[in-house]
Amino acid sequence: MSPFKFHPLTFVWVFILSLSLSVCGFAQNTASVAITGEVATPLNLTLQDLSTFKQVSQKVKERDGKEHEFKGVALIELLEKAGVTTGSKLRGENLAKYVLIKAADGYEVIYALAEIDPEFTSQVIILATEKDGQPIPSGEGPFRIITPNDKKPARWIREVRSIKIAFAKD
Amino acid sequence: MKRWFKQAKFEKHQSGWLFIGLVASFFLFCGLTQSFENDKPTPYTLRYPANFGARYTIPADNPTTKEGVYLGRLLFYEKKLSAGNSISCESCHLQKLAFTDGKALSAGADGSLTTRSSMSLANLLWVRNFFWDGRSPNLEQQAAFPLTNVHEMGQPLEESVAKLRQTALYPPLFKAAFGSDIVTSDHILKALAQFERTLISADSKYDRYLAGIYQPTAQEIRGMELFQNAPNPQKQIRGANCEHCHGGVKTFKELFHNNGLDSIFNDNGRENFTNQPEDKGRFRVPTLRNIMLTAPYMHDGRFQHIEQVLDHYNEHIRESETLSSFLKDVSNEINGKKLMLTQNEKTDIISFLSMLTDSTFITNPEFSNPHLTLKSQ
Repeated sequence: MSPFKFHPLTFVWVFILSLSLSVCGFAQNTASVAITGEVATPLNLTLQDLSTFKQVSQKVKERDGKEHEFKGVALIELLEKAGVTTGSKLRGENLAKYVLIKAADGYEVIYALAEIDPEFTSQVIILATEKDGQPIPSGEGPFRIITPNDKKPARWIREVRSIKIAFAKD
Repeated sequence: MKRWFKQAKFEKHQSGWLFIGLVASFFLFCGLTQSFENDKPTPYTLRYPANFGARYTIPADNPTTKEGVYLGRLLFYEKKLSAGNSISCESCHLQKLAFTDGKALSAGADGSLTTRSSMSLANLLWVRNFFWDGRSPNLEQQAAFPLTNVHEMGQPLEESVAKLRQTALYPPLFKAAFGSDIVTSDHILKALAQFERTLISADSKYDRYLAGIYQPTAQEIRGMELFQNAPNPQKQIRGANCEHCHGGVKTFKELFHNNGLDSIFNDNGRENFTNQPEDKGRFRVPTLRNIMLTAPYMHDGRFQHIEQVLDHYNEHIRESETLSSFLKDVSNEINGKKLMLTQNEKTDIISFLSMLTDSTFITNPEFSNPHLTLKSQ
């Protein structure tokens, strides 16, 4: 008799255990940013997904008066990845599109698409994932928008959960 | 036609009556079709000051109408919508208390207690996420929860429908509001939502001040400034920073925050709905309209008096992983950890909060129990 003989139920238990472990994994690691609306491809990006994009840094002065270095991905790159009408397509009715960004706590801000596009502006708005070399702490991160040319940081929205591109319909 | 007219001429006496009869029935018929057209419900105009703004959405399939609002009002006060015909929406939402019940937790149809405190029903037109945890995106969906929850009215919608179908009162009212006298759960929820959208509180002393027709007292002005200002001890600006979350004329923002009530949570709040750990202990920022009428305070009604609320924000904020960053290290003293308001300043803020009481709202006959007037007729 082989010493490696298992009770038939063992397999069931192992299956249930691995299933529950994977579910726990999901629960621990759900932080993501959804990009939806007027896009060719809706995206749902995790920290890991974002690390595959080109990383950009911005040194900005926070409300506390101190300078911090935020690192992340240029927002325009993410919009391009999702197939938003940027660059040469940002004309005509597409100029009436806006970007609605929502935070975990319900806070919302709006940018016009043209405010983000490098053909219109020289500032690079980023979706930051690091602050001074560290992951952005909870309550502020893991994702935060940094808009260097905004003198007031009210649109530097913390805890970003979703980015929706939509037409102004009025 | 010609022949008929000829006949009419020949048989003058008899056909004269026939002719008049035909003409009369023609007008009667026109009158009937006219009244069928009038059977369409009349649009209800929601009135509010311009500074409230129009950022609200009324579902396209449930426009607000006079008939719908009236039906919704009757249903709001209808005990048949609860198990054992014991309670109505009003039981936990009394008009005189700005549609709260003065209790920390409320007893449902079976006598058991709700898990959270009854919320004020003022200015719901502008709310985008209902309940303390924001789980409902509109009033139509919201209404189904208290109607069916076992700790609240505890009756399946189908039973409510069956009960209302047996009444003489309701089927014609459903027909007037929705075009069909067959009572459905969908129409019950829609009517309730219509009525609730009309519960607009916009005639407080504060509104009159904003409209330039009320001059606040010196204390009220001091309180208002403290309410609005973020403290900045370097610039010698004193404040309580209330407006950060309760800002704007509606005195709430569509936000969910952990306001430092606990370090260990009995109720995980919004996390129960979103399953996101950063939402642990977060609850809706409620309106402060009529706040002096809506004690006890917080999602679990733990504070009996408004003074305790002020003390909480001033002295008793508890640390936790998800504590709102807007409540951390905010102080009226340089390097202070707590808000450090004086007793007089707290009293001034309460004086401002009293300006938010809207006696027109709590006495408006259009929001009162319509069954009482029905019975007296």
